[in-house]
Amino acid sequence: MTESEDKIGVFICTGYGLAEALDIDALCAVATDEFKVPFCKTVDSCEGPGLDAINADISAEGLTKVVIAGISPRRYADNAFPDDVIVEMVGLREQVIWVLPPGEEDTQMAAEDYLRMYLTKVREMLPLVPFDPEVELDRTILVVGGGIAGLTAAREAAESGFQVRLVEKSDQLGGWLAKQHRSFPTRPPYRDLEETGIGELIEAVEAHSGITVHTAATTGEIVGAPGLFDVTLTSSGNGKPAGETLEQFRVGAIIQATGWKPNDPRGDLSWGDLDDVILNVDLEAMVKEEGKITRPSDGKEVKSIAFLQCGGCVGLEPPAYCSSICCMTSLKQAMYLREGDEDAKAFIFYEFMRTPGLYEEFYRKAQDDPGIFLTRGEISEVTRNGSGNFTLRARDTMLGEDIEVQVDLVVMAAGMAPNAADGEAIRTLGDARVTMVDGDSEQKKEEAAQLVEDLKHHEGTEILNLVYRQGPDLPALEYGFPDSHFICFPYESRRTGIYPTGAVREPVDGAGSIDDATGAALKAIQCIEMTSRGEALHPRAGDRSYPEFQMSRCTKCKRCTEECPFGMLNEDVEGTPLLQETRCRRCGICLGACPERIISFRDYSVHMIGSMIKAVNVPDEWDEKPRVLVLACENDAFPALDLMGEHRLKGSPWIRVVPIRCLGSMNNVWITDAMSAGYDGVILLGCKYGDDYQCHFITGSELASVRQKNAREKLEQMAMDLERIELHELAIDEFRQLPGIFEKFDELIEEIGYNPFKGM
Amino acid sequence: MATVETTAPGTPETEEQPQLAQTARVRPMKVDPDLEFIRALRRSGGESLKKCFQCGTCSASCPLSPDLHPFPRKEMAWALWGLKDQLMTDPDVWLCHHCNDCSTNCPRTGRPGDVLAAVREQSVQHYAFPRFLARWVTRPAFIPILLAIPAVLLGLAIRFRDGIGNALGFSPPAGEEIVYSFMPSLPHWLINCFFGFFGFLALVAAVIGIVRFSRGLRGSSVWGPDPQPVKGILSSLGSVVLKILVHDRFTQCETDHSRSISHFFVLFGFLSLALVTFWIITGPVNPLIGSDFIYPFSFWSPWKLLANVGGLAVLAGCLLMIWERLYFGHLAGTSSYFDWLLVWSIFLVVVTGFATEVLHYLRMVPHRQVIYFIHLVFVFSLLIYLPYSKLSHLLYRTTAMVMAERFGREAGEGAKP
Repeated sequence: MTESEDKIGVFICTGYGLAEALDIDALCAVATDEFKVPFCKTVDSCEGPGLDAINADISAEGLTKVVIAGISPRRYADNAFPDDVIVEMVGLREQVIWVLPPGEEDTQMAAEDYLRMYLTKVREMLPLVPFDPEVELDRTILVVGGGIAGLTAAREAAESGFQVRLVEKSDQLGGWLAKQHRSFPTRPPYRDLEETGIGELIEAVEAHSGITVHTAATTGEIVGAPGLFDVTLTSSGNGKPAGETLEQFRVGAIIQATGWKPNDPRGDLSWGDLDDVILNVDLEAMVKEEGKITRPSDGKEVKSIAFLQCGGCVGLEPPAYCSSICCMTSLKQAMYLREGDEDAKAFIFYEFMRTPGLYEEFYRKAQDDPGIFLTRGEISEVTRNGSGNFTLRARDTMLGEDIEVQVDLVVMAAGMAPNAADGEAIRTLGDARVTMVDGDSEQKKEEAAQLVEDLKHHEGTEILNLVYRQGPDLPALEYGFPDSHFICFPYESRRTGIYPTGAVREPVDGAGSIDDATGAALKAIQCIEMTSRGEALHPRAGDRSYPEFQMSRCTKCKRCTEECPFGMLNEDVEGTPLLQETRCRRCGICLGACPERIISFRDYSVHMIGSMIKAVNVPDEWDEKPRVLVLACENDAFPALDLMGEHRLKGSPWIRVVPIRCLGSMNNVWITDAMSAGYDGVILLGCKYGDDYQCHFITGSELASVRQKNAREKLEQMAMDLERIELHELAIDEFRQLPGIFEKFDELIEEIGYNPFKGM
Repeated sequence: MATVETTAPGTPETEEQPQLAQTARVRPMKVDPDLEFIRALRRSGGESLKKCFQCGTCSASCPLSPDLHPFPRKEMAWALWGLKDQLMTDPDVWLCHHCNDCSTNCPRTGRPGDVLAAVREQSVQHYAFPRFLARWVTRPAFIPILLAIPAVLLGLAIRFRDGIGNALGFSPPAGEEIVYSFMPSLPHWLINCFFGFFGFLALVAAVIGIVRFSRGLRGSSVWGPDPQPVKGILSSLGSVVLKILVHDRFTQCETDHSRSISHFFVLFGFLSLALVTFWIITGPVNPLIGSDFIYPFSFWSPWKLLANVGGLAVLAGCLLMIWERLYFGHLAGTSSYFDWLLVWSIFLVVVTGFATEVLHYLRMVPHRQVIYFIHLVFVFSLLIYLPYSKLSHLLYRTTAMVMAERFGREAGEGAKP
């Protein structure tokens, strides 16, 4: 569709006090005289019945592109306008009349500039064409891991009508729960041990017609993207030779429920002989298999046990995170001991006793048992006598003094470590191995060798075996848990369509895994449904645009493949990006990365934003009206600007705000554009970055901060003051800082003077 | 659950826990929980003992607790770990007057007051001589035998009255020489001799119990590392008796304030009855009375009046106790069999006593004789079982209070350094 076929319409709202604060006729003149818009109408409201009237006009007039100058775009629902009409909203109310004095010349100039910017934008916007994968997207869900979380996710997804493939590495389903004698309580009154119930769940899954179970199998390779994942199933070695290909199939989304492994603290202890110091999982297995508790070394029937909880209680560094089940497990196992023998004694030493929520009731029940003794304390000494009994000394106890107890057996709480691999580390390791051999310089080779040394423990840890440029597994967060909750959304990972759940996502017990897995199943279903409609997933859920690459101009610089936080792009041996559209989250970070500016969306491109910037009427130096470009992240900074208006904070008449998808999508050319157009400075508003990042696209604002440094170099080359570019990290609730930021920047411009290129 | 102790790992515990650290032994305390002891405490009113999570609210709310090594928090810790030895040697268990301020304030619905009462019951069993009698008074199954012993002994005394009289030099009664008695077959001299003899045995048992107990208390850690007496024994005893008489401790209770009233009535009722009894027994030989002693007293005699008022006081106090325990258990505390046994014994003693008196005025002689015999059985039980029943608190609590007074363990003050 070319511009000549477009019919652009402008609606200018006179309600909300806009008519009192602004010269509406002059605004109309901008549209009709400057931009020659064929249709311009004033309306007294652009919500509710007003919106219905606008929609009626759109269809009556056959408008294809519409600008509504009135209230913030954030006031409209996604489906407020017909799908095939391009509509842009100009928030004159929030960002002009609520923050600037009414009736003044500068206020009017701001309103007219915004109208120009958005008219320019809609002129360049193209209608969206849904992504066509050429083949039908698959709707099967792959669940990796057959423990309580995997089984639950499989059943939930299958019950919702989706085909499920369940892959389990061992030769039977059930995971840790199948190895348990009893579960701690999951329902009121939260006091009694329960059957695990895993048997029934396994039966239900195995009998379900929608679920195909593959035991003794692993995912040898996963190629592709949501809707198009091609999975190669290989044998895990039980029965058939390990690594042998079993089956190949395609799935639409993946749930990773690979569970946990015990974190054995015994290696860090300096007690000497660790015979008969067993882990909680060992005790569980013993009770499950033998029905009684005996001492491993001599088979003596155990009459007393010391349970040692995590970290500080055995003089080790406290663990970095709570595994959430160890306290409950020790209370449960103390009950096992007491059930069999009314004179048996169980001592539980802890630094923290954590029985969250209603599990407190279970704690109370255990505490009430005359033979269960609970104390905070630190074990200072462990010795054994001739008959094999342990003598434990503990300090800092509840009894107010150091105590000494004798027990037959010591059981240590083993916390949860995720069964996960750090995909990015494995990829870095692989790259470093290549550099070690092919590196440009000796120094690079040495650095690579050091990196290999540091990371080699990641070798062979692969689980999913994704064929992704950015590594074979999900990126890891702190403590080795896979990325699974970016900006507060559980299960959402940086690998679109792959959802970790259960104990691999965060330490969680059986009951928690059931809830968690149900959520992950819903996420996988959502992925399949939205992907099949060509829509983006979280956080730009529903966005039907996707990036198009003008491959003829690609220089294979790999910046897009490196910088995409979601691993959307694979690359061939030469470094040519290979698009996997259904992995894309539409953040536009690639668009900011590309030095050749070959990447664009139909409704968002480097040129389009550049045009918006240039559409502003920049007064010349003698008018003493500076202009400052604000590139604001749509997710937090732009809403914060709205909030600033809602709170009637004082704005600056000199700023012109351009919302962008993510600050990471900022292309440095926009800064050059602004400087050439005569702006006196640029303020970049993005989310917080670093360890506790708030960026909706993980690395966007961080990348922007790197890029603006490069932009400053450019300024330096242009012999301009570096201070003309500022980057601020801003959370949505920090909108009260905005007036200060603008005021300071105005003062700065006054101090360093106007842009020397102004008017050139 | 909340972590109660806030001592950071790695910091010296002596700085963080001034309250308890001083009791810390150089060598760690050997802990071997006595499960049977825990079960016994739970059976006799201490059901809630395991609920404790050591927050210390009980000690903070106790009006009687000293600042140094306060109770009942440490007693709760010892109880829930089954540390019988610690509790048996602990004077604080007896400094507690069971006013239940701790129990009403416990955030875990524990009842430290009731737990301490259960510990006291165990303590009596632990120190009493002979122990089996102390066990009998805690079990309903032994009621028949406990009542049979005094009944049979009294019966034997009647049966062998003449022989005993001859042996002791009391002439067999001739008609004109009969000293007035509610039951001619049981004359006063016989009652005096009989009660005197068994009273003496009870006294011996009591002394053995007290000696064992005070030896045990010396081993307690609450006195500090090198305890020095701040008062003599007699002056300690003097101030303790004064405190008991004015109900100095009971009156500080908030939760169960009425206990000070009921106990006051019962105590002073008994004291006046004891005084009258003493007067009667010693009457003929007491130089203070001399020949003025006229027995039986007329109804309006001051002694008779004192006895009747005393009896009524005991009855009133006792009824108040029963009423409290039946209807205000959450304030008065859990009443174990051990508690009820004493309360009902006193009640029956008073009721049978007044019944005898009424039957006497009604001239219903045969009835009077039967009731009087029953009355004597109850009085006798109260006397001989004193070292074992809950009445033994007058021995044990007084001893503990005297020691606390002697070593300066004062409410709100703490042991002198």
